[in-house]
Amino acid sequence: MTPSEGARAGTGRELEMLDSLLALGGLVLLRDSVEWEGRSLLKALVKKSALCGEQVHILGCEVSEEEFREGFDSDINNRLVYHDFFRDPLNWSKTEEAFPGGPLGALRAMCKRTDPVPVTIALDSLSWLLLRLPCTTLCQVLHAVSHQDSCPGDSSSVGKVSVLGLLHEELHGPGPVGALSSLAQTEVTLGGTMGQASAHILCRRPRQRPTDQTQWFSILPDFSLDLQEGPSVESQPYSDPHIPPVDPTTHLTFNLHLSKKEREARDSLILPFQFSSEKQQALLRPRPGQATSHIFYEPDAYDDLDQEDPDDDLDI
Amino acid sequence: MAAVATCGSVAASTGSAVATASKSNVTSFQRRGPRASVTNDSGPRLVSIAGTRPSVRNGQLLVSTGLPALDQLLGGGLAVGTVLLIEEDKYNIYSPLLFKYFLAEGIVNGHTLLVASAKEDPANILQELPAPLLDDKCKKEFDEDVYNHKTPESNIKMKIAWRYQLLPKMEIGPVSSSRFGHYYDASKRMPQELIEASNWHGFFLPEKISSTLKVEPCSLTPGYTKLLQFIQNIIYEEGFDGSNPQKKQRNILRIGIQNLGSPLWGDDICCAENGGNSHSLTKFLYVLRGLLRTSLSACIITMPTHLIQNKAIIARVTTLSDVVVGLESFIGSERETNPLYKDYHGLIHIRQIPRLNNLICDESDVKDLAFKLKRKLFTIEVDFIS
Repeated sequence: MTPSEGARAGTGRELEMLDSLLALGGLVLLRDSVEWEGRSLLKALVKKSALCGEQVHILGCEVSEEEFREGFDSDINNRLVYHDFFRDPLNWSKTEEAFPGGPLGALRAMCKRTDPVPVTIALDSLSWLLLRLPCTTLCQVLHAVSHQDSCPGDSSSVGKVSVLGLLHEELHGPGPVGALSSLAQTEVTLGGTMGQASAHILCRRPRQRPTDQTQWFSILPDFSLDLQEGPSVESQPYSDPHIPPVDPTTHLTFNLHLSKKEREARDSLILPFQFSSEKQQALLRPRPGQATSHIFYEPDAYDDLDQEDPDDDLDI
Repeated sequence: MAAVATCGSVAASTGSAVATASKSNVTSFQRRGPRASVTNDSGPRLVSIAGTRPSVRNGQLLVSTGLPALDQLLGGGLAVGTVLLIEEDKYNIYSPLLFKYFLAEGIVNGHTLLVASAKEDPANILQELPAPLLDDKCKKEFDEDVYNHKTPESNIKMKIAWRYQLLPKMEIGPVSSSRFGHYYDASKRMPQELIEASNWHGFFLPEKISSTLKVEPCSLTPGYTKLLQFIQNIIYEEGFDGSNPQKKQRNILRIGIQNLGSPLWGDDICCAENGGNSHSLTKFLYVLRGLLRTSLSACIITMPTHLIQNKAIIARVTTLSDVVVGLESFIGSERETNPLYKDYHGLIHIRQIPRLNNLICDESDVKDLAFKLKRKLFTIEVDFIS
């Protein structure tokens, strides 16, 4: 959970980063920026899911089909189902497209699937859709598509759905990005330092605490992933300025701590309202130095000093 | 006699009252008592509804929120006819728990439930409710959970104030179902037979609405309109507003609305700062409060206020709700590593408590409250350090 864990975990991990991203299903948000582009990671994920035997649909809106398919070998290219919305986004040529409703219609049609094969839908890019469609409609459709398999009743018929969305962070304000990230199951933010790309992965499993980790990687020309260590040796930004734990009792004007001797003295003290056997003996024993008790009395003017005992009249 | 003839066309209740008066032939004044109402039982009876109790301050009828600690902070419970708004934490982990505790309390007390959500099917939400701790045999587990977290200092026998050693360690423990607040075991599910025995209605937005509706500006989002109509129908049909007095015993309707204001409801206050229908949510809350005030119901709403872009809307929403509780979890923030907060999972802020028929409200003195989710319990404690 802490960044130090992520830096240590980059070395010798058996579970591939791509596997973990695709395993959870749901909406996977890839947030990239101008310096660290995310399309190559998207293509790496597409290649991985195609090799796993899943059905892969691509909604290509931002780049042309040739540019997207570049770098994939023919085996993978044959497995991709490509829906091209780049060449004719407003459907002016009026050809018989498979999805007449535009990209939104295509997504809605995918909501009504019934086969058990797991499906990966890659949106290239989600930013393009967000700029042209109302955000609420897009959120509702994405939620419907990515949550088809979450009903416990009839989950046997529909396979797992993963929706990979490429989002260019700099194009949108905090509102739409926040709304989409609250819907996403996994959020990958691309960044890096000194020529090394890193991915900060935040996994939100339902009803569990989110886990995050940072992974340094680079993408090879054939779109497979190469995991790497971070650029510097175990740099842990949170513990660099070492802050000692705060002890609130250090600068007081009175003493809150007891030394061992003081503690023993305190424990052996007999409290005034405790009636123990020692106290009982102390009360019963006559005190040394005070054999009898004296009463000192000064007679008043009105006192009647009669030496007779008034009880003598009684006939007992 | 003429009076009887003219009154013949009025409603049945007054007609029967006049009829009995003419039968007794003494006076039309009727004493309300057990022997007077022979023909009908429209006379009001002091029937207490299960799961409610009057407030000790002003007699307001209260229901439990499902968490006795939260009840205490709100001054005894949630008043019937009011809205409890929970401001969700950032990753939405703890606010569904409070939502489920509220619904589980309704099932245990036999109240009617209305669950509305745009994200999850209400039937799935009900399957995940926590199990109530009802018997004494669960008391052991309850106490174990508490004792495991005791600090060493508290185990020392008290020497001066030794009378307090004899007091029981917990003020409230698991109670039977006739009491007001209940404890729940968050690690277990509510038994299926309790859920099936309860009367509940679900509103799942994707099923109720078609996605091609056109929205006029400055009106309610269609999702909100449908939800209000649904709530109004249930209240009317099941007689929570007194419109069907001959029906069976009065009961409380507990309404739960999840993630209100999120884009899944069709509302764009989380996406844009000055959207087209920025008054939709405030109108919805206003109409909802009107519906609640005229019926025997209580409502819990969870709202992702951290996503709302326009801060003025948050202020309006707070004013339009009655009780507002904010949850702030430490996950992902710098407070997670702060050693002062290491025992807790987050802070809980009581932002507003209503003044109902009163000049003052039952605000508690402590403002620094923190919560933690133990394996089975959700506890709220006063955070002494901050």
